[in-house]
Amino acid sequence: MIKLEAQPDEIYDIELEHSLLEANEKLARQNRALLDEHGTTAIDFMGAIGSGKTTLITKLVEKLKNQCGVAVFNGDATTSEDADQIEKLGVPVVQIATINGCHLDANLVGKGLRKIDISKAKFIFIENIGNLICPAEFPLGSKARVVVVSVTEGPWMVRKHPHMFLGAQIVVINKIDLADAMGVSVEALINDVHTLKPDITVIPTSCKNGTGVDAVAQTLLAI
Amino acid sequence: MHELSIASGLVEKLLEFSAHNPERTILEVRLEIGELSHIDSEQLRFCYESIAKETPLEGSILTIARVPAIVSCPHCTYRGRPDYWDEALAIAPVMTMRCPHCGKAVEAEQGHECAIKSVRLLDTHTAPSV
Repeated sequence: MIKLEAQPDEIYDIELEHSLLEANEKLARQNRALLDEHGTTAIDFMGAIGSGKTTLITKLVEKLKNQCGVAVFNGDATTSEDADQIEKLGVPVVQIATINGCHLDANLVGKGLRKIDISKAKFIFIENIGNLICPAEFPLGSKARVVVVSVTEGPWMVRKHPHMFLGAQIVVINKIDLADAMGVSVEALINDVHTLKPDITVIPTSCKNGTGVDAVAQTLLAI
Repeated sequence: MHELSIASGLVEKLLEFSAHNPERTILEVRLEIGELSHIDSEQLRFCYESIAKETPLEGSILTIARVPAIVSCPHCTYRGRPDYWDEALAIAPVMTMRCPHCGKAVEAEQGHECAIKSVRLLDTHTAPSV
């Protein structure tokens, strides 16, 4: 074997400042500029599978569609169940299938924005993939990020996924009608969220019986 | 597993650099990853090595430096390391956006980084050929 060692003057470092998230962030800024131009507010809903993102969006659409334009983007790895459910409400729906992707990104959302008439939508609700880590790293151009957690995810849900909450503005604690049955304290979950981020808005809801949905709608209208 | 998309972007950028600099071999790539980013170093390294196989990057070393978070408080003018949640039942410290001085919400100044800082190169043009 011939061993060859490079001399020190043949090895050198060069600075190569290059952000690996910049490509997505740039597209997110473009999405935001396009939305702002039309006076449209996009809201990104993140949370685990089964936390109630689709049900919450359904209730919000029912509540808001008669007073302002609403469109919905449903991110899903494979199925179109969620988009089918929302479409029955008669609002524009874009199904974004990420196939193997664990998060929506600004490129996919940008493509979706070109498929609808943005000027007719006051709100675009974007349902992210049911994943609690990956979506946090990829801004989409939304004005606010909402995390939906439910009491059925157990008492330590917030502590187990702190990162998701640090970049969010609103937290919805859903399925509070099941809190007693689950032995989960809604108060303790709210305290956990505020320990992580004191200025975050926390709204307890039961999308099943409608509790708190008005408060979520009012919070979004005030953004 | 968003590390895969980040590693793909990284390899793409480095191969582009490599194509423009055929006389240089990339020996080491140095990244800076912020404390506030949600990127797992080991997963990123695994993805990088997998994608770099059979490319000019194969065998290059990926060095990852963690950038500590710095926060500032608009309420009491505190600036420095964030507050950590000690009782969170976590094996790793859980960073919060709560001001260590006044308890109100802080803003992050540093810690979101995910960037290539520099590359270490071997100049194969001037190096003696075997």
